[in-house]
Amino acid sequence: MGWAVVISELPAIASFNKLKVNGESDRPGGAPNRADLETNSADGAARRRVVNVTGRGGGVAFVIDEAAPMDAVARELGAQLSAQGALFSAGGVIVNTGGRILDARDKDVIRRVFAENSGLQVSRFVSSVGDYSPEPPLPPPRRPRPHGAGATLGRAFADLTRGEQRNRAQALLIRATFRSGESVNHRGDVVVLGDMNPGSEILADGDIVVMGTVQGLPHAGASGDDTAAIIALEIASPRVRIGLCEADAPPTGRNGRDGKRRRASPGQLSIVYARRGGIYVSPFAGRFARYTKGVPYDG
Amino acid sequence: MTGKTIVITSGKGGVGKTTATANIGAALAMRGRRVVAIDTDIGLRNLDVVMGLENRIVYDVVNIIEGKCRVRQAMIKDKQGLELYLIPAAQTRDKDSIEPSQLRELCAGLEQEYDYILMDCPAGIEQGFRNATTAAREAIVVTTPEVAAIRDADRIIGLLEASGLHHPRLIINRIAADLVRRGDMMGREDVESLLAIELIGLVPADERTVSAANRGVPVVHDGRSPAGAAFLRIAARIDGEEVPLNEPSHRPGMFHKLRDMVGMKGRAYSHA
Repeated sequence: MGWAVVISELPAIASFNKLKVNGESDRPGGAPNRADLETNSADGAARRRVVNVTGRGGGVAFVIDEAAPMDAVARELGAQLSAQGALFSAGGVIVNTGGRILDARDKDVIRRVFAENSGLQVSRFVSSVGDYSPEPPLPPPRRPRPHGAGATLGRAFADLTRGEQRNRAQALLIRATFRSGESVNHRGDVVVLGDMNPGSEILADGDIVVMGTVQGLPHAGASGDDTAAIIALEIASPRVRIGLCEADAPPTGRNGRDGKRRRASPGQLSIVYARRGGIYVSPFAGRFARYTKGVPYDG
Repeated sequence: MTGKTIVITSGKGGVGKTTATANIGAALAMRGRRVVAIDTDIGLRNLDVVMGLENRIVYDVVNIIEGKCRVRQAMIKDKQGLELYLIPAAQTRDKDSIEPSQLRELCAGLEQEYDYILMDCPAGIEQGFRNATTAAREAIVVTTPEVAAIRDADRIIGLLEASGLHHPRLIINRIAADLVRRGDMMGREDVESLLAIELIGLVPADERTVSAANRGVPVVHDGRSPAGAAFLRIAARIDGEEVPLNEPSHRPGMFHKLRDMVGMKGRAYSHA
């Protein structure tokens, strides 16, 4: 399956398909688990493989299971490339990641796999949310984050003054409506210049900023940072997560399914933040303001 | 001549893709365009039934692609004598019997001779969807004002954009004006604000659409059908004409008009 447009002068395309995101898995139980996929690729069973090679247009497409873990993708892709090395002697490759956005580390893995196992070079990464190359250099290794009271201000100051030393990737800017079935997992802040529609999900190690209505599933501070926040024009998600906290919107009358719309006032931003294990929403008054009058998201 | 290949898709089944394809095809042909409608729902063909051509099928799209017949041999001319041709799907095969590139090649050939090539896309996001969308140059997404249909349309729009079909256009089908007015159905604004793509038509719910499909005569041939009129306007917009979007409204019957005239109290109607 390909979400890749074949460009004639390029001999090959690697493409991540969207078969197994958000409950579309052909296995019961939703997202395939890591062990399952790894066995799958290791024994090369008759089940769907992580990487399939097919001819397409004038080129070749590597169709990659979008939900597969990166190590399995690297192993399978490497094996396929070296097995048919003569075919892929030189040229550029466009990697289409479909609804998934790779971070710098994962992109590096893909680049290396192509370089080591074939004469091909990755010229560009594209995805359904746009062209997101060139990539800034890989951030330095991760270090423990500040936690607890006072961390918010301290981190803000540290971030402002020592930008290079942050242990997060640069902010990811999504220049589109983020639609159902699309999913991002980013090691930094994520900014969406549009709505975040029902059925989409964003996992960000940092903040999530949406210049529109949030109706999907946002998880700010996804690696456990309770000081992260979600900022949006309107927040109507059935469930939000910040760090290790989670809150469901209360059911409301006719629109209960879509969650209660949290809108401070038209055109006014709202912020969703975590405090003492609970999640609160408040009119936005600055990212690092002290919020004391937020209302519980689930209340 | 270079025609346009347009895929008509939705994600969810049963929202009116096939009906829309048959009607837009007929309406474009009524405007004097030369049109080919291709049913890409291999294994579950329907377009031939809705166009009333099921008993004239000899060859199908898989036969063309496998080289068993020439393109012209599989094309069935419209019953009403319009410059509208159907290439039916194979009923005994499945979506994997063709490759997206083969369908693209077929469409590229047809584009040389016809103004519009409309592809009726199967429901779902699997091989059939990929076949049709890879072959198309433009896309029209059909939805109904229901949460499930809109969710699927949203997903489809994301996939279309990912596959290079930017700027798909939207048809909202089966709008029941009185339900919208009572707040029991999503209105045009709700759908438009969520999907955030160009709206190309609002089709009212209309019983005549159903009976026309069952008779195998697209409802655009029924001069009294509001849905037929909506499809004619959609075809005009596809054809590049500027036509304002009409909000479907509840049309009061003669009795209610008389009652309003004599000043008796009745239900409020929206006139548009």
